[in-house]
Amino acid sequence: MPAIAQQPGVTSKSIKIGAFGALTGPGYLYGQLVMNGVEVVFDQVNAAGGVHGRKLELVREDDRCDPAAAIGAVQKLIHQQKVFALIGGGCSNATLAARDVIETSKIPTLINASVHDGITTPPAANIFSAALTATIESEAQLDFALKQGAKRIAVISMRDGWGRGRYTPLMAYFKAKGVTPVADEELTPDANDATAQVLRLKAANVDAVIMVLYPKPAAVFMRDASKFAFKPLAIGQTGIADPKAFEEQVGIPGAITQFRTIAMVKFTPEDSAVDNWRKLIETKFPGDRLSVFNLVGVGSAQVFVEALKNAGPNPTWDSMTAALANIKDLNIDVYPGPISCSLADHRCNRVPAWLAKDPGKPVRVLPSSGG
Amino acid sequence: MILFSYLLMSGVTTGALYALVALGLVVVNKATGVINFAQGEFFMFSGFVAWVLHVQLGLNYAVTFLFTIAIGFGLGALTDRIAFRPIAKADVVSLVLATVGIAFVLKGIARVLWGGKGDYLSFPSITSPDPITVFGLMVIPQQLAVLAGTIVILILFAAFFRLTRAGKMMQATADNAKAAVLVGIQTDKIYTLAFGTGAAIAAAAAVLTAPITLLYPDLGFPIFLKGFAAAVMGGLMSLPGAVLGGVILGVAESLAGGYIHSSVMELSPFIVIMIVLVFRPNGLFGFQTSRRV
Amino acid sequence: MAPFRRRNVLLVLLAIAIIVPPFANYYYLFVANLVAIYVLLAIGLNILVGYTGQLAFANAAMFGIGAYATGLLQVRLGWSFWLAFPVGGVIAAAVGLAISLPALRLKGLYLALSTLAFAQATQWVFLHWDAVTFGAGGFKTPPLSFDPLPISKPLGLYYLSLLLAVVLFLFAQNLVASRVGRAFIALRDSDFAAESLGVDLLRYKALAFGVSGFYAGIAGGLNSALLNFVAPEGFDLFQMVLQKAMIVVGGLGSIVGSLLGAGIIVILLEVLREVKGLQEIVFGALLVIFVLFMRGGLVGLLKRKVRGWEEPLRLVSRRVRPKQSETSQTAARTEKADS
Repeated sequence: MPAIAQQPGVTSKSIKIGAFGALTGPGYLYGQLVMNGVEVVFDQVNAAGGVHGRKLELVREDDRCDPAAAIGAVQKLIHQQKVFALIGGGCSNATLAARDVIETSKIPTLINASVHDGITTPPAANIFSAALTATIESEAQLDFALKQGAKRIAVISMRDGWGRGRYTPLMAYFKAKGVTPVADEELTPDANDATAQVLRLKAANVDAVIMVLYPKPAAVFMRDASKFAFKPLAIGQTGIADPKAFEEQVGIPGAITQFRTIAMVKFTPEDSAVDNWRKLIETKFPGDRLSVFNLVGVGSAQVFVEALKNAGPNPTWDSMTAALANIKDLNIDVYPGPISCSLADHRCNRVPAWLAKDPGKPVRVLPSSGG
Repeated sequence: MILFSYLLMSGVTTGALYALVALGLVVVNKATGVINFAQGEFFMFSGFVAWVLHVQLGLNYAVTFLFTIAIGFGLGALTDRIAFRPIAKADVVSLVLATVGIAFVLKGIARVLWGGKGDYLSFPSITSPDPITVFGLMVIPQQLAVLAGTIVILILFAAFFRLTRAGKMMQATADNAKAAVLVGIQTDKIYTLAFGTGAAIAAAAAVLTAPITLLYPDLGFPIFLKGFAAAVMGGLMSLPGAVLGGVILGVAESLAGGYIHSSVMELSPFIVIMIVLVFRPNGLFGFQTSRRV
Repeated sequence: MAPFRRRNVLLVLLAIAIIVPPFANYYYLFVANLVAIYVLLAIGLNILVGYTGQLAFANAAMFGIGAYATGLLQVRLGWSFWLAFPVGGVIAAAVGLAISLPALRLKGLYLALSTLAFAQATQWVFLHWDAVTFGAGGFKTPPLSFDPLPISKPLGLYYLSLLLAVVLFLFAQNLVASRVGRAFIALRDSDFAAESLGVDLLRYKALAFGVSGFYAGIAGGLNSALLNFVAPEGFDLFQMVLQKAMIVVGGLGSIVGSLLGAGIIVILLEVLREVKGLQEIVFGALLVIFVLFMRGGLVGLLKRKVRGWEEPLRLVSRRVRPKQSETSQTAARTEKADS
């Protein structure tokens, strides 16, 4: 096997960047839509002349949320398309499966949507993440519940790779805090009814429930909970990052007044602060509506471009990897906190934003003290 | 006792959802002998069509309902023309695969057209969404609408098959296509009618259930699986069997979740299926007539 | 002596498969290895579905059982891959045998549903039995080494997969040409008649399930080594659809067809990467087109169009449909007499 050159994908006029994630199948939200966000940032950068005079070209590959397909996608990008760097990673198990291939190849990589801790811990020299990792979010969820004074906390989770990736650190954190969850229920991603779960939680006098769920099962849960006038503090995470959309999905007015959720991105799509991104997305992808998934791509792409600029006018894999490791206190419009990587810790995004929504009012960002 | 009745109620309403899909499958099967593996995608696609008509274009509910059913029928008829009629005599695996192909096409188109609009699209309820009390139990009104829809479709189609000529012709065609041709039944038209009707049922079901299930391109297959299970358990040729199968599955899930643990809810339908098939290998209402060898 | 005799074509393919890979890049090597694995899956499935007529949907679950067994024996019990791997295949075969027992009375779509239920139950176990299977997150398998042979892991695994594919292909060819194979076909076409001729239904049905389970289990073990990772995704119903597509596209009731079908579908999936987000639409459309225009699959087409392509046994070309009311047995019989 010939050694891979230090500068594949770089010509005098362009740089090829690879993106992998689900383009088809249910994971496409964390793949295709995130990549759309990345692409509009690249378009903007290209319109302003590119990075050191080179235009950015995004090459997408589908992993269908499947481990084998992810390995194939990454192999194709690295060995066939010969891209300069990778930005992507959607479904956790798929990205985890591809991690070894990426690590062995040494290609500079920024993960933007996969949250499983195993991707960044222990750190691989060339893999960085702009996604809030599962541990950070799960710990934030329990901290929030405790800070609000909850005494009987329950957990309701999905058992797939995404769910387990959050559930495991959550349970470990419960133990570390000396708290035992009063109930531990499961809900499947396609569930249409959560009566059994709600009844059990209600019987256990739960005052706060940590939801490790996608919006659909979470909406079903909240809908059935309101049926029984059961209104605990409901704590979501970045899977449910758009409280306005969530309110519509639940469908019952007033059902989400006790709902609080974490967002990786501090704006929801209808916020005027992201008007420029909305215009770019809805022009380039007619029929689409700006979503938080797009914004995740937007934020990560800005981090990526910054690193690429810092990699110098003659970027190599070494200089790009070093540039990623040296990102410090970078403020990106859509992320709530500054982005900082380091050699020891490749998780660059550590600050969750907390969101809530009251009926008839816009989504509000909670002050960091909660409430 | 209250726990049990709530679990039963939620099992029945979820079961009605499965029964709706199963009814569509049985109608198609009664006329063609084939299981349409794209039934879930018909359901999903019609749901999106209803969303476009009602939410995006603002047409009123009744008009949306009728248009969606009509478009659903068309979708079914188209599938018959493309994927069934040319290969009506092929082996069952090929037939299944042809409908699977249609399923992928519909799912892909839905993803391209509507996937970028949001993770799960919401659809307004037929009445006010606030929970109401029925027989001392709190229910969400839309779930009652789903239940009512299931019963109406069941009665309508049971009557259709038993009383109308077209219904009898459908059964005759499924039973023995060659003989049906011999007695002058236009089997081609029957196949189209069957597929169209099955898809129309899926469309009606989708409009009723969309507020509960939400709309997303991957909605179809999980619901198809439950509907298929319900139909087979019921005996594949029996409409009441399909409904009973759906209700049994829904109730089994609900009771398992309530009395054992929510983590076995996903497993319980499959245990029930395996048990039923061991004792009744042709489903609850299926039968093995004497075979001439 | 037609140049496109089946044997010649297969030998050429084999030669390419042996000579080219050391010079290909990692991506192509990976795809080639996948093809070998899927060839095994398709052959096993074809034996069960194409030859024995059992409409079973459990093969993807067997694939998973083989992968999990091979992986877990290494990770939980510390076994070496070289021991865990064949044992994994045997475990999958045993499971296949076990599910053939309740399957004896089931036919057609009822069998389909029960095997589907089994497949879903298997997924549930992979996801929930954390103590053993590591649950939804999956687990990494220990890196495989071919020491003391001077060959890298990707290349070594590829040749191992190729070797197994060739050996098991020949075994399957012999199996279906033997008495056992004829019993399978008798089961498919008319089990009552077969029984009246003294064919032991249970024994042969179980054998078919067991053999296909073994093939799937071996494929699973290879897969776990290829990915170095085992997780519940990849053994689901989409996987089952892919396998069914392989045997239909290649030709039901033909071992060579399984080979060709597996190659085509795997390569097709990679080629479809080019259409990015339209993969589902194109794949679905191709599936429909294949079924419509290629009766008897690719092998059927080759038999009709290419001179000298001999196929030893008849493919499933006639109507083999389960009937809910069995009175239509007569109609089916008249059709068979016609074709």
